[in-house]
Amino acid sequence: MSTVVRNNVHTVGAGPTAMVFAHGFGCDQNMWRHVSPVFEDRFRVVLFDHVGAGGSDLKAYDPQKYSTLAGYADDVVEIGTELGLRDAVFVGHSVSAMIGLLASLTAPGMFKSLVMVGPSPRYIDDEGYVGGFKEQQITELLDFLADNYMGWSSAMAPVIMGNSDRPELGAELTNSFCRTDPDIAKEFARVTFNSDNRSDLAKVRIPTLILQCSEDVIAPLAVGEYMHSQIPNSELVILKATGHCPNLSAPEEVISAIRAFV
Amino acid sequence: MPLSRSDHIDEDLEDLYENAPCGYLSLRPDGRIVKANQTFCRWTGYASDEMIGKRLHDFLNIASRIFYETHFAPLLRMQGFFNEVALDLIKKDGEPFPVLVNAVERTDAEGKPQFIRLTVFNATDRRRYERELLKARDELKTLAGTLERRVAEETAERLRSDTALTSQREEAKLREQFIAVLGHDLRNPLASIIAGTRLIQKAKLDEKGEAIILMMQKSVMRMASLIDNVLDFARGRLGGGLTLVLSLQPLEPTLQQVVGELQSAHPESIIKTDFALTKSVHADPVRIGQLFSNLLGNALTYGVAGEPVTVVAKTQDHFELAVCNVGNPITPATMERLFSPFSRGEVRPSNQGLGLGLYIASEIAKAHGGTIDVTSTPELTCFTLRMPLQR
Repeated sequence: MSTVVRNNVHTVGAGPTAMVFAHGFGCDQNMWRHVSPVFEDRFRVVLFDHVGAGGSDLKAYDPQKYSTLAGYADDVVEIGTELGLRDAVFVGHSVSAMIGLLASLTAPGMFKSLVMVGPSPRYIDDEGYVGGFKEQQITELLDFLADNYMGWSSAMAPVIMGNSDRPELGAELTNSFCRTDPDIAKEFARVTFNSDNRSDLAKVRIPTLILQCSEDVIAPLAVGEYMHSQIPNSELVILKATGHCPNLSAPEEVISAIRAFV
Repeated sequence: MPLSRSDHIDEDLEDLYENAPCGYLSLRPDGRIVKANQTFCRWTGYASDEMIGKRLHDFLNIASRIFYETHFAPLLRMQGFFNEVALDLIKKDGEPFPVLVNAVERTDAEGKPQFIRLTVFNATDRRRYERELLKARDELKTLAGTLERRVAEETAERLRSDTALTSQREEAKLREQFIAVLGHDLRNPLASIIAGTRLIQKAKLDEKGEAIILMMQKSVMRMASLIDNVLDFARGRLGGGLTLVLSLQPLEPTLQQVVGELQSAHPESIIKTDFALTKSVHADPVRIGQLFSNLLGNALTYGVAGEPVTVVAKTQDHFELAVCNVGNPITPATMERLFSPFSRGEVRPSNQGLGLGLYIASEIAKAHGGTIDVTSTPELTCFTLRMPLQR
């Protein structure tokens, strides 16, 4: 199956260099709507949804394949291969920062640099490592997802009506963005919040920009600093923006940081 | 009654805000609380000034915090609102407080967010209800799974036994064919031999020749009865059991014929008959003849030479056929397995046979709803068939 359909891939702009934007857990490519258009003049902007999110093909969900982040990274490599990407810039939010990192290791030459927005190589605290969460809290999160299923499934379930471009949705539609299949989302949460990619950080040789928010409950400052210390050719920028989604809450700050980097 | 202006209740908007039947929160774009109404304070147990300046996160449990950050904050930024989002607040006393939240983002002319308004609804009962529904759904799933598995097992079992039954039926059919062919092939040469002996008898024979022919005919008859027994045994043991062709034909001619046949085979023996068959008997005459032939044959074989074998047949309440002979009594050990296949009397071990005769006879009696009783004393040994007149 074409990855274009499977991952609801959209390419805009015609610059010599491609810039791939990857959304994190909980949303879809809409996450980049205030950021990616700015780069269309100089870059070939590539947007996509992970399988299970947004306009992706839910039938392509394979529990085995997507039981690790490597499965998602393989999708990124497949998209890059199909689009013929070389020396592209990968911009990954949250868990997709790690997915992009894994993809860059799998397919050397596909990406010349990485931009990580609110990344974390491991969410759960460990000996000598602060991830920000206790194991128990992650278990609670997964229970909560199951618990929240009811209110959530009707409001968040994707419209399974093909992958046509979503129109600008009127205000009468409720929670129309960031639709996610609840069962897949729960599994994605399990995979995301139990992941540990600390040992992969040192393998990265390409220039890496780490965008760290102030007061981010998902990826605290200590995690950003840890990332910076482990990735050899990395740059750490602490954003004034708070929360976990500066690409939405402070797009200008994110844009200027990426501009300065690329 | 229609409302008129004079009915207008003097609504206190300040009070409506503070004590509305829902919680109100106002947040700065960075999520910090700038205003909270009394209802929200009452529900959570915090004083209003304890909340001002704190972030909404600080009042959510970890799961809700992650969920809010990854799902609802982006949603609010993108579409300007969200509805019916389920979150768990943590009350001041540490207890969870399930709520449903609607939110609207206020933006300025340039689209920059100014503040966020939240309405918070107590969802304790709703959440409990949802959990019950979920639990019921899971139980139903489990139940459906169990049911499906059972149906699958049952179907597989049916299929298996159907297959087994079909193959059993086919086997039985083959066996029946085999028995029929075998019987035909065995009887045909015997018929030729008997026909041959009759032809020879017509010619003038000396005394010795006459005796040899008689011996041959006797052997052929015994052979024929052995074949019948073996085939019946095979049918009864391996096949579908004895089958009867019932009729109300008089039995006496059949009995007379058996007596005649055996008398000619045992010319030195005396057979005394007493037939009083006044009522018709619902029976298979061929089978009754076979049974009688077996009993009478035994009596002639095991009976003391010179003593008569007596046959009594009568119809009163039952059809009764008794064959008695004088001879050594049957030992208790022999008696025990008298009607089992391949058992023979031990009185005269020289007597040859398969030991099927009494077994077949008892099977025929059983098929007619009757029994064969044995009495054996030093004076007399009797085999008595008793069966109902009507089947």
